[in-house]
Amino acid sequence: MTVLPAMPIAQPLDALPPPGAPRPFVTPVPHVETLDNGLRVVVASRRTLPLVTIQLLVRSGAETDPPALAGLADMTAGLLTMGTTTRSATQIADAAEALGGELGSGAGWDRSQVSLTVTRPYAAAALALVADVVLHPRFAPRELARARRQAQDHLAVTLGDPGSLARLAVDRAAFGTSAFGHPAGGTPGSLARMTRRDVVAQHQTWYRPDNATLILTGDLDAAGARALAVAAFGAWVRPAAPLPAARTDDTRQVAPASVVIALPDAGQAGIALAAPAIARDATDFYPGVIANAILGGGYSSRLNQELRIRRGLTYGVGSSLDARRGGGVWRIAAQTKNASAAEFVQVTLDEVARMSTSAPSAAELDARKLAVIGAVSRRYETTASLAGVIAGFEATGIAPAEMTRTIAALEAVTADDVLAFARTHWDPAALAIVVAGDAAVADPLRERHPGLRVIAAGDLDLDRADLTRVRPAARPSSR
Amino acid sequence: MRRLALLILVSCMTATTAAPAVSPPAPAAAAAAVAVPPLAFRERTLANGLRVVSVQDHSSPTVSVQVWYDVGGKDDPVGRSGFAHLFEHLMFKSTKHLANEQFDRLTEDVGGTNNASTREDVTNYFAVVPSNHLERLLWAEAERMSNLDVNDANFQSERAVVQEEYRQHVLADPYGRFFESLAPRSYTTHPYRHGVIGNIAQLDAASLADVRAFHATYYRPDNALVIVAGDFDQAELDRWVDRSFGAIARPAAPIPRVDVREPARTRDATYRETGPNVPLPAVALTWLGPPARSADAAALHVAATLLASGDSSRLYRSLVYRQEIAQHVGFSIDPTTDAGLIVAYAIGANGATPATLAAALDAEIVKLATRPIPAAELAKVKLQLVTQALEERETPIGKGMAIGEAVVYHGDPAFANRDLDELQAVSPADVQSALRRYVIDAKRVTVEYTQEKKRRAAPRPTREETATPRPAARAAPGPTRGKP
Repeated sequence: MTVLPAMPIAQPLDALPPPGAPRPFVTPVPHVETLDNGLRVVVASRRTLPLVTIQLLVRSGAETDPPALAGLADMTAGLLTMGTTTRSATQIADAAEALGGELGSGAGWDRSQVSLTVTRPYAAAALALVADVVLHPRFAPRELARARRQAQDHLAVTLGDPGSLARLAVDRAAFGTSAFGHPAGGTPGSLARMTRRDVVAQHQTWYRPDNATLILTGDLDAAGARALAVAAFGAWVRPAAPLPAARTDDTRQVAPASVVIALPDAGQAGIALAAPAIARDATDFYPGVIANAILGGGYSSRLNQELRIRRGLTYGVGSSLDARRGGGVWRIAAQTKNASAAEFVQVTLDEVARMSTSAPSAAELDARKLAVIGAVSRRYETTASLAGVIAGFEATGIAPAEMTRTIAALEAVTADDVLAFARTHWDPAALAIVVAGDAAVADPLRERHPGLRVIAAGDLDLDRADLTRVRPAARPSSR
Repeated sequence: MRRLALLILVSCMTATTAAPAVSPPAPAAAAAAVAVPPLAFRERTLANGLRVVSVQDHSSPTVSVQVWYDVGGKDDPVGRSGFAHLFEHLMFKSTKHLANEQFDRLTEDVGGTNNASTREDVTNYFAVVPSNHLERLLWAEAERMSNLDVNDANFQSERAVVQEEYRQHVLADPYGRFFESLAPRSYTTHPYRHGVIGNIAQLDAASLADVRAFHATYYRPDNALVIVAGDFDQAELDRWVDRSFGAIARPAAPIPRVDVREPARTRDATYRETGPNVPLPAVALTWLGPPARSADAAALHVAATLLASGDSSRLYRSLVYRQEIAQHVGFSIDPTTDAGLIVAYAIGANGATPATLAAALDAEIVKLATRPIPAAELAKVKLQLVTQALEERETPIGKGMAIGEAVVYHGDPAFANRDLDELQAVSPADVQSALRRYVIDAKRVTVEYTQEKKRRAAPRPTREETATPRPAARAAPGPTRGKP
């Protein structure tokens, strides 16, 4: 064998060297068991560094928000860490951070969760703390008042940013008052209406061991994890009453609206489009993932190629397929200068239409599949993201064993599958459109969208299907 | 309360530790109890001056390739604020042997990812790929170091993208103008005062000739650091590095260096900034800090962690939780090779004014600098720092970043392995003396930020092109190439 000298070659190489032989990823195999009280425990070992991520997942979230109380699930989850029957909010923060970690809690669609990542020696103490906040929250009125005001302030900032504003409003424009229409973080009106009684009821109804999963990832094995789980959550009592049925409300959209939210002095136009999508258990879920990657996932998607790379209209555009239990939401979002908003919307709709007419080439399909597979694989590299992968399965009712099948399922998607998915599910006319920006964006948009409505930002009402505040009727003049 | 869904500017914390139900090792023993495995790196320098640091990790079949160039926003040509960052975007365009965006073909399209960021002092390009693609990526990095060939159409379209990045981060974000104003208000002389993202007008002034000159001046082997972290064979790597980079010539011309020094401040100053759609007022207090390699840097890092890391941190506990006068608080000392900036900031709540916020920030900082710091609180932040370091080092890209920052800011990759030891050795007296020297006894700049007055009388000119193009940018890791 020849040993190459470690010295420069006279001429630079002028062609790319070929890749070496592939070294496949080894997908972690999650271990699943159910404790006597019904709590599911899912463990995935990753023993490269002394870290453990703990995530307690309640498999119900924003979809359980009552119609007038958008954000109730998120408020309830957020308040868990703000006091228990034996610890104040400050004592909880002190305890979590003395373990080196940061205790987080919140709710999204299909899930409410508490999570904490610590080094291995502190795993048992961290788990005991997570159990305390999940099982024994105090929901003190003072903490509700504080959290309400903080959420309202956060919303106020969101409403001043055209990109955030468009993304916040687009679900209403797509779904009206049906189940997926409300903001999971609440609205100014719903936050004001929320009472302690609502929060306590939310907790009592959904936080129960037979509706929860404890996820443990990192530097532990299944036996060690089980012992930790039993010690922390073994005494959690399963109620005698059956778990209420998951919400089965109509998640179809109303007639998709086209809306401009006129935000004075907006530094850019925020653009968001949304439509109903498949549920996580749909048979064409994996074709949907690849179709979404081709349309708007990652840097080299068709949307980003056309809108950023070719036209220079945006810093980045993306689409997402949020497949939930019982339905889903498909979204496209970006920001562009006000003057480009109409062009941006039209090019986006044209690219969506092209998904149904132009099948991906073999090169495009292979590239986007590998990009997705790589992104999936990298999520196994940290204990926190690995826990997130497992939470995604558990929340949507898919067995975590699906992890070991995911890559093969993605590899199997064909160009015909992608085309069929787009033709079945992606009608540009089904997309609700929200543009938040300068009022002047409306006129050029109206040419292609005659039903366009313009709402002044000050008149926005996120609780209503038409997004418009009802002004008090003018008082009849009295004499 | 920390909501998972919120991506927060910052935040956080205090002590009085409640006893957890199961007692862990006492936090004081924490650092000792949890070992952070050292990064077993290998370093060498090629004949053309290229520095190469590699660190193996076979825990997954991926490898990170990073090239860090010793050039950043401070090196923007005069009248071209934002140029180094614009240039970073152009490095993804065509070269002699690569088509536009072929880097994405070599990374994203094979299951990897890539990005880049520009900071005040440094520009880094970082990718992660399945490890069988390592040689190709090294070749491609060498190619764009030596054979970049941007044409005018690419230049125009990418400049428009960067201008959208500016609009998104500075003009559309309600607090974009606020954070962008800190550098120009805080520095009088050093080019750090121009920030990194630039402004619309100076980006418009840039030309293709500027691009070629900038590449020739700074993108050369003796101004670059190649980092490879992850799954590779050392002998193969060395051979591939030699073949890819070895033949790139080292130019004879010297590399221009910023030798401007920011003078010490002679007085306190207060500036009032405004923006549209600002629902809550904000305030920032800034002081000139030491360079990252100063002996005081570790103590200031610990001080920042005490003040603002987590819900138990002092600023969060006081301003956000107890007094309820702030929505967000932060205390940061971003590393820089020259005089850095120490920034304390708060975004208000409940009608608090910038003056109220400033007084409350000041009171907490003075308290930390002058009253005893409980041992348990110091132990807490040291364990937080260990935990954060471990989390960063779970991935090849994170390991590479730790090496890159050690080299750029400390001149030595071994600093990545000394860093935590230095932090663990910081005493309460160290924290207090550093705070006294750089904050309490130093001159302060105050930036107050509020909603601008409505000017409805006369029609305004198109806002984005004329809105006081303020030299810009200090985003946490600096503007990036940006991914959707």
